[in-house]
Amino acid sequence: MNPTWLSVLPEHISGMLRRLPSDLLYQLEEIRIREGRALEVNAGGRHYFVTVEGDLSRDPEKAFKPGREDTHRLLDQITNHSLYTMEEELRRGFITIPGGHRIGLAGRTVLSGGKVEHIRDISGFNMRIAREVKGIADAVLPRLLDFSHRSVKHTLILSPPQHGKTTLLRDLARQISKGSWGHPEAKWPGMKVGIIDERSEIAGSQRGVPSFDVGPRTDIMDACPKAEGIMMMIRSMSPEVIIVDEVGREEDGEALAEALHAGVRVIATAHGTDAGELLHRPAFAKLANPPFFQMYVILSRTDKGLSFKLLDSKMRSMQVEELRRRGSDHHD
Amino acid sequence: MIKMLGAVLVIAAGTMAGWLKARQFANRPDQIRRLIQALKRLETEITYGFTPLPEALRRIGKQNHAPIRSILMKAAEGMDGQAGMTAQESLHKAIHEEWGHTAMKPAERDVLYQLAFSLGTSDRRDQLKHIETAVRQLEAEESAAREDQAKYEKMFRSLGLLTAALIVILIY
Repeated sequence: MNPTWLSVLPEHISGMLRRLPSDLLYQLEEIRIREGRALEVNAGGRHYFVTVEGDLSRDPEKAFKPGREDTHRLLDQITNHSLYTMEEELRRGFITIPGGHRIGLAGRTVLSGGKVEHIRDISGFNMRIAREVKGIADAVLPRLLDFSHRSVKHTLILSPPQHGKTTLLRDLARQISKGSWGHPEAKWPGMKVGIIDERSEIAGSQRGVPSFDVGPRTDIMDACPKAEGIMMMIRSMSPEVIIVDEVGREEDGEALAEALHAGVRVIATAHGTDAGELLHRPAFAKLANPPFFQMYVILSRTDKGLSFKLLDSKMRSMQVEELRRRGSDHHD
Repeated sequence: MIKMLGAVLVIAAGTMAGWLKARQFANRPDQIRRLIQALKRLETEITYGFTPLPEALRRIGKQNHAPIRSILMKAAEGMDGQAGMTAQESLHKAIHEEWGHTAMKPAERDVLYQLAFSLGTSDRRDQLKHIETAVRQLEAEESAAREDQAKYEKMFRSLGLLTAALIVILIY
């Protein structure tokens, strides 16, 4: 069995990676290809360079150095031979490939009216390997249930990058949409879920179809600006729960308030570690009074894995718990 | 009697050869025209449809007849496969393998060959420019091909018959 992301790499590079120890291969988080410089892989917070023989090295001089031909071939392959269909992706700086993996791009930018319009001379690639960890939300979801409304509470998940925020959000979407609440007294069916997936990370959509299992009753607005997407979803898809990643701009806050008035439950994530500090940000100022979120989940990484802390709407600490880890290491 | 039969054969063969050569002169501008139309459709697919290259080539190929069809289809196939061919390699391979079945000359082939280097590798505006250049070059070739057709089509048609008649007279 080979990971799906290997097939987009030029043949000799995927050959080198295939010769890596298989436990490492399945735990890779990032593969970095830079034209004329050493081939690098990242796993578990460590980085390694890869030699032509497929061995790991600490010395970039001994490593394989991809050439122009390799980067051309890779770009051709990940754009389906059609760079012109990727204008929006190039403006955002990454391309999502089948399997929900994201490839970040670096090169020379072309500006138009002061805004980035395009990337030319793309020479740096960062393949971020997405992993689906089903069951990661098992410990969290039962605490987010709102029994009186047979629904879920408005929830904000807070964490620094690379802590599995998106993985958790994805699994929450799947379980809410499926109705597997993980609580003996929660007997209501699955709900209609709307995901606003601005960065194509939650669902990893390809042509609008999700690559990950996000549940049977889930609709996805892919690559859509969050504030606009929330409004569109409410107008057109009648969601019961809206799931959105990384809210932070002022208009996001307004759109969330709108969702509240429409009677839609919201589960959102934001960068950060401190819920108190959060409410000073412009996006959340509107949501502070009266308190919008009924539950805050704060993720942190410990030696044993990920743990989470729950705070109620008044930011009173409720408990700390280890997230059950299934499968391999997960990835934001 | 046998002599007679031979003479008929020679005349039939000569006429046929002349006709075939004349047909080539007639087919060339037609095929160039169809190639131009195919490129214009490709332009639309790229600039308005955002259609990925393999799908666009296949769609246009389906609406065309051989030999244009087989070039486009073959190129699309190469890009789909797990062979890992780039758009350029796949197009070049298709041109290389299928060009023999066309009535077109190396000049047209070179235009397409050049275009293959840039297809799919840049943004829409850039793609548009490359295709427009190729179309303009092909249009120039087309008008030259039409002139050739006017000059040589009839000539080759009668030349075949006349040459055959000459041979018959000489050996009779």
